[in-house]
Amino acid sequence: MKQKINGQKTGARLKKDFKKWHTDIYGSQKERKPHFQTLSGIAIEPLYTPLDVADIDYLKDLGFPGCEPYIRGVHPTMYRGRVWTQRQLAGFGPPEETNKRYKFLLQQGATGINGVFDYPTLRGYDSDDPEVYADVGRGGVAIDTIEDMQILFDGIAIDKVSVSLVTCQPICNISVQSMYFANAERKGLSLNMLTGTSQNDFLMETAITTAPSVLPPKASFKLSCDAIEFCTRHVPRWNPISFAGYNYREAGCTAPQEVAFVISSAIACCEELIRRGLDIDSFAPRLSFFLSAHNDVFEEIAKYRAARRVYHRIMKERFGATDPRSLMFRFHVQTAGVALTAQQPLNNIARAAYHALSAVLGGAQSVHVDAYDEALCTPTELSSLTALRTQQILQMETGVTNTVDPLGGSYFVESLTNKMDDEVERIIFDIDKMGGIVKAVDKGWIHNEIASAAYQYQVAIESGEMPIVGVNCFKIEDEVLPIDLFKVPETLRIQVEKLKRNRKNRNSAEAAKALAAIISCCERDGNLMEVIVGAVKTHVTEGEISRTLKTFYGIWHPPLF
Amino acid sequence: MSKRKRILVARLGMDAHWRGSIVVARALRDAGMEVIYIGNQMPEGIVKSAIQESVDIIGLSSLSGNHMILAPEVVELLKRAGADDIKVIFGGTVPPEDVPLLKEAGISEVFGPGSSLKKIIDFVNALD
Repeated sequence: MKQKINGQKTGARLKKDFKKWHTDIYGSQKERKPHFQTLSGIAIEPLYTPLDVADIDYLKDLGFPGCEPYIRGVHPTMYRGRVWTQRQLAGFGPPEETNKRYKFLLQQGATGINGVFDYPTLRGYDSDDPEVYADVGRGGVAIDTIEDMQILFDGIAIDKVSVSLVTCQPICNISVQSMYFANAERKGLSLNMLTGTSQNDFLMETAITTAPSVLPPKASFKLSCDAIEFCTRHVPRWNPISFAGYNYREAGCTAPQEVAFVISSAIACCEELIRRGLDIDSFAPRLSFFLSAHNDVFEEIAKYRAARRVYHRIMKERFGATDPRSLMFRFHVQTAGVALTAQQPLNNIARAAYHALSAVLGGAQSVHVDAYDEALCTPTELSSLTALRTQQILQMETGVTNTVDPLGGSYFVESLTNKMDDEVERIIFDIDKMGGIVKAVDKGWIHNEIASAAYQYQVAIESGEMPIVGVNCFKIEDEVLPIDLFKVPETLRIQVEKLKRNRKNRNSAEAAKALAAIISCCERDGNLMEVIVGAVKTHVTEGEISRTLKTFYGIWHPPLF
Repeated sequence: MSKRKRILVARLGMDAHWRGSIVVARALRDAGMEVIYIGNQMPEGIVKSAIQESVDIIGLSSLSGNHMILAPEVVELLKRAGADDIKVIFGGTVPPEDVPLLKEAGISEVFGPGSSLKKIIDFVNALD
């Protein structure tokens, strides 16, 4: 039985009156421009009415929060029960320094840790590698060995605080997450107590970021699945992957591509883990997602809502998942770094606040708000604090937490959600036809899609079609920056000295044996995390593990240009 | 109009972000230049490719903060190889105070976040 979205009749009378309004009243007015569209190019009408949502079957298409298809939220009470986790990204320099920033943020009311790693760590290099001396400690914290992991979380109750490890690339994740687990075991904690998330997304390694030499897509995907399988067996409260749509979006893709790519990735992981003999409901409840909050407020809200519905449909229909948690699209949001400007940086506080608003109106589980200085440097203590306060103001002062899915039922938002749903489905179908996401990466299709969208975005800014305040309008010439910039503390010398000490003090025969065990695990196509959690306890370094893996799997050059 | 310009676009060291470099590379190609995109490289690799490909210009990109170390090294290695007729430009996230320092080190121009493609194309076209 079809339910009407509200009490109004969607019959002939409405159609007739709407047509009359559109022609006589609206039609006699002038508008600012000929076409209105979302940031991703979806056409926007001047007005939405019950006619636009007449096909919606409330019970089937919307339903109730905490119930299928989860479009109105994954929890019955949403923020009335528990507000989103305020998880501010932090990491820079040596682990000694980042440890202080974590403690500072926790003291200031942050409710989770979101640890980001420096460029060499993300790519699997040690701090003393000849390729990396200019990048150690930049963009995140430098981690080389289990000792660094111990220092990073020293004095933090990792059995109580949920910790997100932004180990983007599987080659980084397989070592760094293993170090995190091994460090917990050395502290006497059982792995089944740990809660947190790691990023572990093979697209990050092969399509979204690039490095001098990366693993081929198939190998990177294998490492990612190894970590998921390991956590399913041993760390049941850990989210072993966070499909990083945020980063795809930062690299340039559109909102529907962002959602389609993460869901296609999840499909590939499900197929592989089922092939390995796991039951869908044993691991799917712990698959998690990471999305961007970009400039177009309503498009973003529609994106989050559509993602929940599409994911539910696929997990149910394609994989036959029955555990409700397997059907829920749970996600973290970071406000769009790419939308921040280096010009007039304090304007970014307003931008990030609007971004965060859309995330919360879209039902995010956790949020990071970008700091105002991120287009210029790593955030300072003041800019990080302002970002955290932005979240706290949103949560405590604005009233947006008072009801569940406040925009559900809006003619516009429901209509846009439907359009987003269709577009996401279409892209997922295209990727299916290519043989799945791993093949789509391998042939460079993903790279080209993202690069083309990035180019179009830039052209729209260039033409003035997309206004950016302070960049192509309301500019200040010869602006003097009103803020102090962050300086990365000394890192290279500290890390290199620790590595020297580590190599001298460890039992080298044990370390060599551990590396040999990794090779033999590769040869028998075993689960590498099962071996590497033990290996890092012998003080082998991240770089040694990565080199071992690259020796076996070879390297790949992403087809970018 | 002079001969078709050849430009090598490279990303410095471990920097992760390809968006800016690819968008600029496409724009330069669309503007009629020959673009060679080599992805991430250290200064030695960049200079070697630039000489092999006999380019007129090197476009460096980085958002990681490694620019003050690696960009001047590129200029220095070009000098040592006797190839300092190759001009070097830089694009990426750079604190404003570093811009004069990069120019002193021999970088012809620095394009920060928000720079227009037209400005970059015009600058490259004007280089001789």
